Amino acid sequence: MLPGCRKSDSRIRITIWHQDRIDVRVILQRQLDRFMKLHPEVRVEQLFKETEELRSGFIIAALAGQGPEIVYGPSDQVGPFEMMNIILPLEDMFDAQWLSQYDPRGLTWYKGHLYQIADKLGNHLTLVYNKKLVPVPPSTDSAMIEIGRRLTVDLNGDGKTDRYGLVWNYTEPFFFIPFMTGFGGWIMDDEGNPTLDNPGTVNGLRFIKELRDRYKIIPNEADYNVADILFKDGNAAMMINGDWSWAGYLNAGLDIGVAPLPRITSTGLWCGTMVSPKGFSINTNIALEKRQWVISLIRYLMAEENQIESAKELFTMPTHLGVQNGDFVQNNEILKGSRIQIEHGQTMPVVPELRAIWDAMRPSYQAVLAGTMTAEKAAPAMQQMAQRRIREMNE
Amino acid sequence: MTLDLFSSRTTRQRFFIAFLVIPSFIVLIGVVVYPFVYNVILSLSNMNLRHIRDWRIVGFDQYVKVFTEPSQPDFYLVFLKTVIWTVVNLVLHVVIGVFLALVLNQKEIRGKAAFRAILILPWAVPQLIVALTWRGMFNYEYGAINLMLTQWFGLPGVEWLKKPLEAFIAVIITNVWLGFPFMMVIALGALQSIPRDLYEAADIDGASWYHKLRNITIPLIRPVMVPAITLGTIWTFNNLNIVWLVSNAGEPSDQTHLLVSFVYKAAFNFYRYGYGAALSMVIFFILLAFSLAFMRTTKVTENVYS
Repeated sequence: MLPGCRKSDSRIRITIWHQDRIDVRVILQRQLDRFMKLHPEVRVEQLFKETEELRSGFIIAALAGQGPEIVYGPSDQVGPFEMMNIILPLEDMFDAQWLSQYDPRGLTWYKGHLYQIADKLGNHLTLVYNKKLVPVPPSTDSAMIEIGRRLTVDLNGDGKTDRYGLVWNYTEPFFFIPFMTGFGGWIMDDEGNPTLDNPGTVNGLRFIKELRDRYKIIPNEADYNVADILFKDGNAAMMINGDWSWAGYLNAGLDIGVAPLPRITSTGLWCGTMVSPKGFSINTNIALEKRQWVISLIRYLMAEENQIESAKELFTMPTHLGVQNGDFVQNNEILKGSRIQIEHGQTMPVVPELRAIWDAMRPSYQAVLAGTMTAEKAAPAMQQMAQRRIREMNE
Repeated sequence: MTLDLFSSRTTRQRFFIAFLVIPSFIVLIGVVVYPFVYNVILSLSNMNLRHIRDWRIVGFDQYVKVFTEPSQPDFYLVFLKTVIWTVVNLVLHVVIGVFLALVLNQKEIRGKAAFRAILILPWAVPQLIVALTWRGMFNYEYGAINLMLTQWFGLPGVEWLKKPLEAFIAVIITNVWLGFPFMMVIALGALQSIPRDLYEAADIDGASWYHKLRNITIPLIRPVMVPAITLGTIWTFNNLNIVWLVSNAGEPSDQTHLLVSFVYKAAFNFYRYGYGAALSMVIFFILLAFSLAFMRTTKVTENVYS
């Protein structure tokens, strides 16, 4: 039928922008279909956008008075969105009693207002291990090194390593955070000022270099794709990766376990990762007549049965306290490891300055790995650059 | 009476021409003029994360910052790298493209269509796929390039993506592979339009292969190649995808940036919209000056047969 001849759709239309991968989209669509069956007068569409495109696209659209009714993603987008006044405070739309069903870490408050309600808690890194090679995961850094050395082998005797003990995307600063925290460091103070020039940064950098150059248990070069393929092909025994990856490994037929990242013996601290809720925010440009439907939709997607469904298929940590304390989450091996890692982690800051900090860390971090800078010089260089970037952003 | 009729016909013709032109003119205003003017205004403003809704005109402050603000890496170094990137790419695109076009234009070559299709392939593959494939090929331990170097030639592997110079060479290699088919197609089209009698006359005069190339082929493909080179320069100077994807956003240590990735970072990573707009205007003026100078020097608008 020609588009012009098509009967006009009089249903209320709601759009969700998100940056979730395909298996998450399938589950979301199933849940949206059920919602639309319950409410035939509403049509909900989900639209995938790559992370950066989601952020910049939403900013551009919302500033122009357009954009989707709901934007879904990690909590670190709340800071810039709030500053641009493109998302609505939610505390008056969702009553306190309903909100009390959820883990407070899944409710992102910023400058006294609730801006995001999350259905998943995490986005956190863990130690994923191949059970065939690693029956018991290491709980300390020295145990990790010992297992790594044992499992890093040249299988065919050609002088090249065929299997590594450990792999991860170690050029990316996000993946450096566990080692920084394990040695007692953190990226910023409560006021959002960078605190990169700390012993945790220096010792964390040294530790990663030693894993590569002294113990030789990680590849000379590994980005996310290389690390992922090595692990999937059984050419790496352990991998540092986030909750987004586990379902993919299981679907690929790998017998994996998920454990918290090890404790650093010299400090007694666990390698803690950043924990970020993923949730729903509402566009300030939302039409008044749609508001109630958007609230209903978010309440529906946050419901217990939908969170259980996601947790069972994706192994994500639900925010619904009932589901968190339910049989599946309590007894599932993967989610047990995930939960412990979350407890060891720190919530990802939502302030816009976080961007400047990532950007400031990257050059010096990579220079240390390339051998062109020492860890002692890298930490103050990161700090100075972060301060300058933040000044530029706030000028 | 005749004059009236003529006048009336002219008016009708003018209306008809206007009728044909106005839709494209409106589209051009919407997609070129308006964004350009808006960008000029932004470049004179203080728009950033803190002043997204209450921005104001601050004059040439952002332009001053572009040239004087200490940046990491340095603006002038990035500019120099961008020039090197553009020149090296263009020279290799044109040399390889024209060489392959000359080979494919030989009468003796069999299966030309198949060769042409194979050689155009790099151009037809989406840039994202090309960039990520090449990135994998440059991996130190598992990449095809190092495997060839070590196993076929007995050379040591190169840390392509870890060292600034090697990473820069890696992105250039990727873009050369991606860009030569365009020049080859353009050159092949130009070669096929050269009358055969010119070569036959030259053969009768006993001209060598080199003389025919210098006195017939190059002058006659020049009017086609110069605009292609101008376009290629602008595309290459402004090429964000390849550098961004192969070097994973400027790795190592932000050492593989071009001016355009600087703009991207300023505007979309740090929300410095005014500064980003000013930097993009600087790039625009650089390319405008180059294009005008290049076209004037090469006299591309002159009739080649005159």
